[in-house]
Amino acid sequence: MSHVIDTADTAGPKASVGRRGPAMDRRALTRATVIVVLLLLALFALPPIMSAYYTITMIQVAIYSIVTLGLGLLVGRVGLYSLGQLAVLTIGAWVGARLLFGTSQPYILVIIEAGLATMIIGSLITLPALRLRGLYLALITLMLAGAVAVVLQTLNFPNGGGGFSGYNGSQLHVPQIRRPSFAGTDPAFYRFSVIVAIVMFLLVFAHLRTRPGRAWAAIRQSEPSALAAGINTTFYKLWAMALASFVTGVAGALLAGADRVLFSIDFPIQNSIQLLAVVLMGGAFSLAGAVVAAFLQSLLPSALYNLWHVQDDWLIILFGVGVMQVLATAPGGLADQFPKDMKRLYGAIRRLFGGSRGAHAVSTARKGGDPA
Amino acid sequence: MPSWAEFQPYIVTGLALGGLYALSGVGLVVLYRATGVLNLAFGAVGAMGAFIAYSIIKAGNPGWLGWITCILFCGVVTLGYGMVFGPLLAGRGPLVQSVSTLGLALVLFGAVDLAWPTTAGQSPTISFPTDSSTVFTVGELSVSWTQLIALLLGIVITAGTGAFLRYSKLGTAMRAMANDREITATLGVPVRRVEAAAWLGCGLLAGIAGIMLADISALDDTTLVFTVVISSLAAALIGRLRSITVTFVAALVIGLVHDLVTPITQIDNYQDMTPFVLAAIALLVMSRTQVMTRSREEG
Repeated sequence: MSHVIDTADTAGPKASVGRRGPAMDRRALTRATVIVVLLLLALFALPPIMSAYYTITMIQVAIYSIVTLGLGLLVGRVGLYSLGQLAVLTIGAWVGARLLFGTSQPYILVIIEAGLATMIIGSLITLPALRLRGLYLALITLMLAGAVAVVLQTLNFPNGGGGFSGYNGSQLHVPQIRRPSFAGTDPAFYRFSVIVAIVMFLLVFAHLRTRPGRAWAAIRQSEPSALAAGINTTFYKLWAMALASFVTGVAGALLAGADRVLFSIDFPIQNSIQLLAVVLMGGAFSLAGAVVAAFLQSLLPSALYNLWHVQDDWLIILFGVGVMQVLATAPGGLADQFPKDMKRLYGAIRRLFGGSRGAHAVSTARKGGDPA
Repeated sequence: MPSWAEFQPYIVTGLALGGLYALSGVGLVVLYRATGVLNLAFGAVGAMGAFIAYSIIKAGNPGWLGWITCILFCGVVTLGYGMVFGPLLAGRGPLVQSVSTLGLALVLFGAVDLAWPTTAGQSPTISFPTDSSTVFTVGELSVSWTQLIALLLGIVITAGTGAFLRYSKLGTAMRAMANDREITATLGVPVRRVEAAAWLGCGLLAGIAGIMLADISALDDTTLVFTVVISSLAAALIGRLRSITVTFVAALVIGLVHDLVTPITQIDNYQDMTPFVLAAIALLVMSRTQVMTRSREEG
C-alpha cells in the first residue's frame, strides 16, 4: 500500500551506511552509550542524593516525559496539534485510580488497562476531526479540554467510594491510591516511573522506525501527497492519536499512584495549553525534546518555587513568550536549538582565539564557553 | 422535567449570551478568513481588558472611561500582536499561526492572574447601569437593557460585517485575501494594511465581548479566557470557519442550550459542555461530506 514511501525511506539509510558506514555507526554508538549512561545515572545515582522534595518532582518529570512524548509524537511527527492532552492524561488518571480502588489487579496490569481505555476514548473523540483539516483537531481538542474539566468538577477523582464514580464526598479520611508492592516508597516509585517511561519511549521509537513512522513522516510533509502515494492518511493519523492516547493514559495511571490523592482542581484547562507550549519549546521533532519539555513542565516550576518562591503565573508568561519565540524563530525547540547555539558559540570563540593562540587556547576557551 | 415557566427566564439570558458568542464568533471568522489566523487569544485579550476596566471603575472613574479603555486596549494589543507576528509567521500555515496566538493567551492569562489575584470572599464584578432597567416584560419575564443590547450587538455586528464584506472596498479585499493571499497582493491590494484592519477589528470585538461577558457571565479569568473562546470557536467551527450567518445561528443555539439546561437538575452541572457536544456533532456531520482539501490550506 505505502510502497512508494517504504522503498524511498529504507533505501536512504542503507545507501548512506554503505557510503560512510563506520562514521555513522560510531556516532550512533556514542549516542546510545550517552543515553544508557544518563539513564543508569537517573536510575541509580540520583535517588540516593535527591531530597524528598526533588524525588517527588523527579517522579513528575518521569511521568510528564511520557505525556510530552505522546504530544511531541502528534505535533512533531504527524503534524497534529492537540490542545487537550492534559485532559487525556486526566482520563488515564481517573481510570487508573478507579481500577486501583475497585479491583485488586496488579499495578502494571492497571497501567496497561488505563492506557487502553484512554486510547479508545481519545481515538473515538478525535476520529471525526482527524478526517478534516488539522485546525479542526486543534479546536475539538481544546473543547475536549474544557469538557473534561467540567465533567471532573462534578464527577471528581475516585477516592475509595462506591458506584461508577467511586467518589465519596463525605469521607473524612481519604484513603490513598495504592502503589505496587515493589515501589511503595518515593525513590522506588521514581525508579519504577523511569522504567515505565523508558518502555514507552522504546514503544514510540519502534513505531517511528517502522511502517507507521514512515507514513507519519509522509503525512507531515504533505497530506495530499501522502494520500496520492497510497497512504491511508486517516488510518495512520488515528494510529498516531491512539498511540499518543495510550502512552498518555499509562502516564495517567502512573500519576494516580504518584500523587496518591487526586484533585480535579490540580488539572485546570490552562495546563493543557501550557503542555503544548512546553512541548514546542522543548522540541517536538526529537525524543530528547520530550524529556526537555518534561523538565520545563515539572522541574522548572518546582525548582523556581523552592529556590526563590517564584509564582506559577510568571512561568505561564514565560511559556507564552517561549512558544511565540519558538514558532517564530526556532521551530526545532530547545533540544534542537541549544546544541546549535553551543556549536555557534564554540565556533565564535574559536575564531576569536584560534588564530592567534593555537590549540591550547581553543580547548580552554571551550571549557569556559560550555556552561553559558 | 421542569415546567415551561421555569425555562422562560433562561431563554432571555441564553439569547443574550448567544448574541455575545455570535459577536465573538464573527470576529474570529472574519480574522481567520482575512489572515488565515484563528485568534485563540480572543478571550484572554478580552479578559485583560475587562479587568483593566474593573480597576479603572473601582478607582472612582466614570464607567464609560473603563469600557472605552477596555475596548481600545484590546484593539491595540491584538493589532500589535498581528503586526509583529503576522509577517513573522506568514506562510507557515494556519495551524502554526493559530497555535502561536496561544502564546499570547498564556502571557495575558498569567499577567491577569498576577495583577488581579483571586482572593477569597470578594470577587471583582463589572456592572452596567442598564442591568436593572427593564425594557419590557412578557408575562413574568423581564428583559433588561443589557440583555437586549447583548443580543442586538450580535445581530448588528453580524449583519454589519456581512454588509461590510459584501459591499465595501476593504471588505472585498478581505474576501479576496481569504481566497488567495498571493494573487491578491499581486493585484495591488495593500495586504499588510488590510490584515492590520482585520486584526484591529477582531481586537475591538474582543474588547466588546470581554466587557459585556464580564457583566453578563462573570469577571473571572478562567471563564473569560476559555469558556468564551471555546463557545465562540464552537460556533465558528459549526460555520466551517467560513460562514458568518451559520456562525451567528450556531452561537445563538449554543447560548440558548447552555442556559436552558440550567433548570434540569440532572445535567445542569454539565452545561458548560454544550459547545463541545454541539461542535462534536457538527464535526461528525462534516467529516461525512468533506472532500480532500487543497494542500495550501494544510497547516
